[in-house]
Amino acid sequence: MKISKFLLLALLGALALSAAPSRCDAVSKQSKSVNVKAAAADDDLDEYKDVGAIPDPIQPVNRGTFWVNHQLYHYVLKPISKGYDFAFPEKVRKSLFNVCDNLEFPIRFVNDSLQFNFKRAGGEAEKFGLNSTVGLCGLIRISDRFPTLRDIPRADTGQTFAKWGVPHGCYVVLPFYGPKSVRDTVGLAGDYALSPVFWVSIWLTKIPWVPAITAPDSVRTLHDKLEAYETATSNTTDRYLSVRSAWVQYRKKVANQ
Amino acid sequence: MKRRHFLLLLASLALAVKAPCTVTDDAENQLKQWVGQVTDITSHASDRESLRTKVRPILEHIINFDSMTRRAIGPGWRQFTPEQQKEAIRLFTTLIIRTYTAKFTPGEVPSVEYKGVTSPVAGRVEVSTTALYKGSKYDAIYRMEQSNGWLITDIVVEGVSIVANYRSQFQSEFQQGGAAEVLKCLNRSVNTKE
Repeated sequence: MKISKFLLLALLGALALSAAPSRCDAVSKQSKSVNVKAAAADDDLDEYKDVGAIPDPIQPVNRGTFWVNHQLYHYVLKPISKGYDFAFPEKVRKSLFNVCDNLEFPIRFVNDSLQFNFKRAGGEAEKFGLNSTVGLCGLIRISDRFPTLRDIPRADTGQTFAKWGVPHGCYVVLPFYGPKSVRDTVGLAGDYALSPVFWVSIWLTKIPWVPAITAPDSVRTLHDKLEAYETATSNTTDRYLSVRSAWVQYRKKVANQ
Repeated sequence: MKRRHFLLLLASLALAVKAPCTVTDDAENQLKQWVGQVTDITSHASDRESLRTKVRPILEHIINFDSMTRRAIGPGWRQFTPEQQKEAIRLFTTLIIRTYTAKFTPGEVPSVEYKGVTSPVAGRVEVSTTALYKGSKYDAIYRMEQSNGWLITDIVVEGVSIVANYRSQFQSEFQQGGAAEVLKCLNRSVNTKE
């Protein structure tokens, strides 16, 4: 009798274990996993094979452009960025960034809509309305005080293509702009076409220094971009491959947002 | 007697549901403790060199550098001699510690929010975090594996995996000149002034 009760309990216990939530299933297999770990260790070696991979058939040309960009970043853009930081107090720089970023609302709104993500598109519209009015034409990002508006991922045209299933195509390094794929180069053109700041900057070319600050990918966004570039190129054994891999992985994250 | 059996059954049910989840929670709690230690050092460090010196023993304790190096090098690892493997791990450890600490400014403390744990396969967890640092927000995923406790095997910042990033570089170097070329490039990078 005692044995039968023990068996019943053992059976119920085993059933309970097998019914544990799926999130925890993995852990119940741990002892088995430890036993096969040594054998599986070699299989782990190829785990990262395709992460950050992209066809790069024109690598010699890309490396050449990358080298030119590297010199440009270090000897021209970095001093310009430092000069801009020195000339304008942080509050002024931030306000200017906010105004331009607010005006670039159509890029995010149109792309969210093209991705059929109407909830985000609505959030962008709300953000734009709030920052343009209460935020004094975008000078103050009032929307950041609302968590639902603060954390809306930024949509762009390259991301829309990715969500539609358009493949990257090959890797290209554009002069000044740096890493892109064929898909994202077309996407960049789409972003410019949708950017009122870009069109206004062209209209203002009579005053040369204005578009240098206001235009997309201009001095106002330079600081962050140079910082990201320096992170990707420091402590590497091949800075070209490091930037390429980092860019592909980052764009994959953006496409999955 | 029957009541005793019933209680035993309840206990086994509770264990079945609770125990595995506790293991993933353990990984997250462990990580929280380590991140706390690192940020504490960062807040008190006077300069980058002292920050690196103080943080190094902690990172050596919490990161599985052997695993990171093997995966960053890929299948070519099998062709490394034991001495070359040892040297690769040593150099890669220095490079990773330098990369990790380069992001910290002595005296500035990030605020880290823990957003959840997933377990993609047995013995592995991914802890998602968001760090607010110097006015910018970064998503970071800590990949951890169980081998004599939970150890970090990769850090993915804004979608970019440290291991995958080095893998693309080492693979190309290995194809060019085997283990010797990888070690040469590693040596050059470690000895390059920041």
